Amino acid sequence: MTEPLLSARDVVQEFAVRDSGGSWGGVVQAVSGVTFDVMAGETLGIVGETGSGKSTLARSLLQAPRPKSGTVTFRGTDLTRLRGRKLLRARRHMQFVFQDPFGSLDPRWRVRSIVSEPLLAYGDGSAGHRQARVDELLDLVGLDPARYAGRHPRELSGGQAQRVAIARAVALNPSLLICDEAVSSLDVLIQAQVLNLFEKLRSELGLSYVFIAHDLALVKQVSDRVAVMYLGRLCETGPGEAVYKTPLHPYTRALLDSIPATDPGAGRATTTLRGEPPSPISPPSGCRFRTRCPRAADLCAEQTPQMRDLGGGHTVACHFPLEKKEPSALKETAV
Amino acid sequence: MARSPALRLVGRRLGAAVIVLWGVTLLTFIVMSTLPNDTAQTMLGLHATPAQVAALNKALGLNQPFWVRYWRWLVQALHGNLGTTLEGQSVNHELAIHLPVTLELLAYALVISVALAVVVAVLAARRPNGIADRISLSVSMIGLSASPLVVGIILVIVFAVQVGWFPVQSNGLGGGLGSFFVQGTLPAASLGFPLFAIYTRLLRADLVEQMQREDYIVTARAKGLSPWRVLIRHALRNSMFTLITVIGLNLGTLVSAAAIIEVLFSVPGVGSDLLTAIGNHDSALIEGIVFVFALITVAGNLAADLLYAVLDPRIRHGSTNS
Amino acid sequence: MAVPTPDAVLLTPGGPPALPSLLVSDRRIRAQRFWRGARLWIPLGFLILMLFMCFVLPRVVTLPSPTNGTILDGNDALFTPGHWLGTNNVGVDTFSQIVYGGQVSFEIGAAVTAIGMIIGCAIGIPAGYLGGWADSLLSRILDVLLAFPALVLALAIAEGLGPSEVHEIWALSVFSIPTFGRLARASTLAVRDLPFMTAARLSGTRGWRIIVRHVIPNIAPGLVSFSLLGVGLTIILEGALDYLGWGIPLPEASWGQMIASGQNIMSAQPQYVLVPSLFLLVTVVALNMFGDALRERWGEA
Repeated sequence: MTEPLLSARDVVQEFAVRDSGGSWGGVVQAVSGVTFDVMAGETLGIVGETGSGKSTLARSLLQAPRPKSGTVTFRGTDLTRLRGRKLLRARRHMQFVFQDPFGSLDPRWRVRSIVSEPLLAYGDGSAGHRQARVDELLDLVGLDPARYAGRHPRELSGGQAQRVAIARAVALNPSLLICDEAVSSLDVLIQAQVLNLFEKLRSELGLSYVFIAHDLALVKQVSDRVAVMYLGRLCETGPGEAVYKTPLHPYTRALLDSIPATDPGAGRATTTLRGEPPSPISPPSGCRFRTRCPRAADLCAEQTPQMRDLGGGHTVACHFPLEKKEPSALKETAV
Repeated sequence: MARSPALRLVGRRLGAAVIVLWGVTLLTFIVMSTLPNDTAQTMLGLHATPAQVAALNKALGLNQPFWVRYWRWLVQALHGNLGTTLEGQSVNHELAIHLPVTLELLAYALVISVALAVVVAVLAARRPNGIADRISLSVSMIGLSASPLVVGIILVIVFAVQVGWFPVQSNGLGGGLGSFFVQGTLPAASLGFPLFAIYTRLLRADLVEQMQREDYIVTARAKGLSPWRVLIRHALRNSMFTLITVIGLNLGTLVSAAAIIEVLFSVPGVGSDLLTAIGNHDSALIEGIVFVFALITVAGNLAADLLYAVLDPRIRHGSTNS
Repeated sequence: MAVPTPDAVLLTPGGPPALPSLLVSDRRIRAQRFWRGARLWIPLGFLILMLFMCFVLPRVVTLPSPTNGTILDGNDALFTPGHWLGTNNVGVDTFSQIVYGGQVSFEIGAAVTAIGMIIGCAIGIPAGYLGGWADSLLSRILDVLLAFPALVLALAIAEGLGPSEVHEIWALSVFSIPTFGRLARASTLAVRDLPFMTAARLSGTRGWRIIVRHVIPNIAPGLVSFSLLGVGLTIILEGALDYLGWGIPLPEASWGQMIASGQNIMSAQPQYVLVPSLFLLVTVVALNMFGDALRERWGEA
């Protein structure tokens, strides 16, 4: 087996929350022991509800801020041990695209400077070279340099702004792009265009992706492998096909059931989630999903379920995983 | 959590306030030590011999190093004794006479400015960009730019010199309520007009924003309550909060302004007392008055902070949105 | 003095704009656009006029002396030929005093604001950007300076160093430095963790470059428009210092000192105290209006 491009081991991220008056309010365990690999050329989709810690995970991978514990190994280097210039150099081939296209572009800068910022920061080439590279990048993401290079972000549409962010992300020829809800704020049509752009970059530049989103259908569409996240932990990972066809974790099942059926005759979902996700300040003991799980037993409160491989790279962290059955057979076990 | 967040907040803010107060006393001492040290000379008069001056300096402890003098002052101050003025009076006594005058003046100015600001802001907010609003914005722009000194001069010329309703100089605010109004109205109005401008702008902005953005206002309107009623019963009640906070935060600048106004109208408050003290290099008196000024400022800030903490439900319940 | 805290001024530029109605006539839109322009250009025009009057005019035209006059010309009323704003009781030309006093006011206002802005930013931006103990320490120092009655400090410095224009500048800077420091810190704090800052750091931009290229351009508009209020506030304080006799040394003209001496002859010659008061008022109004209009413009940009 070849070495993974990116491998996260037991990544933990916590925040001390302060209430608005500034006094101490508790510790949010946003990411608790997340482990996964991304192979070269692969797209890993991470899916989860709002507040599941997906975005925090994305930023922990980028070391912004550095995770509390665990390791993030990228191209054979452990990023969590590096700081300053060395971290910068090691992270060079790992870039990012964030959710809010306008928020992630400095409103006072022009598109040209925004796209060339990483080139300048990493000291790539002369000013003339950078200029040519910016034009090339804008062309690559489908923006006419002559029209757009001189604009400010506020003079762009959401889709155009996101294209600028993507151009900046690929400026340094990265091998991995971390996309945190990169298309969620865009209209459906624009979403499709940007997804096509991602696909094009993948084939043209040989990019790998960590693609984080709350939209299952979207993740399914772009990912080779999918990881499902709940309250700071991964509960299931596996090839996209396997996870969507035969989910092993009750949470994944519930998520899939929550997708409205496109076929009017198909009827409503069978399992629906009870209640709200618990507070990440005081998560439940053992399995974090147990408070809402139809299959929960005493064991789930006592022991944290470990990830185990049930064959074909399909892993699950559940004491009582669903059998590999067709969804129709689930009804009897789930109720 | 053992203690409530609000209580913890009180503790933290109180701690910060004490540190700031201590810093002010230290800074005063540093500034005073840069002034020419002629206390003994002043006390003894021009004809004193250098030997006499040196002796008095020694007796007063003025020849001792800076830190020793500061430490002695601090210990005394913590015991409630702020020292002795050049004229041999106790600073505490001096403050007891002049401070109430200043406080009365400030209170009067605050009452005038807040009362007017509430009325004008409500009228202005009823129809944003309407006539009342435009007038109030222009007037408050002038007020915002006017120094109390200029307001005072204009008020004196109009109401004291021309119309003659009030005296040009008010010597003391004592002697009953009627006399207080006669003597105190012009000084208080001079102080109050710039404040009125600040408060009106804030209150109007807050009211307009609430009327346009807040769901409960929309709900109240939808229920059929009259606009005036919604404005006064619902929006104003919430906006008063912001206003009170700003009043607290502004107390510091207000005491400085009061000093000028006291000089202009010859009001015997701490402000005019302070200016005399600075002219005389009366260190003990300056330190005492600056301490009181800083105390008012810090107390105002603290009160604003705490009021917010006690009344704002988000802080009271210690929200934990990440 | 009675001027709001910087944050308060900054946050309330006349309140939020009214929600636009969809049924606004063309004429109304044109009128609105006109008034928006006027709010910027009228105060700016006035300020330029004032600067011209104070700094260029005395070089072009020979004005009467602002310090000496003959008693024969004393107590001229307004619009006297040769002394169109009149003279004081010893015959010094009022207009000339306004011009030379205005020079002092503008010079001090600009210098104090510039010093406050530069040193305040040098303290406030690192404090806000770095956070941690450095921030706590610097913030406490700024708190102390702000809690210290500004006037007292200014007076004490003026008294200790003796009255002169340079000393007055330093004395008033003690007030402008913490004000700008606090504002710079607050605005830095507000932009520090915005997504584009994170994005810039992740793109490889580091340290001082982030501050120079991202933080400063984003907080500059707020600081610059506040600095106009700062000039106004300084002119007010400068007037107060002069009024109290701790500012510009005597034979030289200054607005505050004109008010102080005019106060004595207020009943007989109200115009002598009114003229400098009005100049003081209108200049500061223009500065504040210009600052407001700039903020309105940049806020939308």
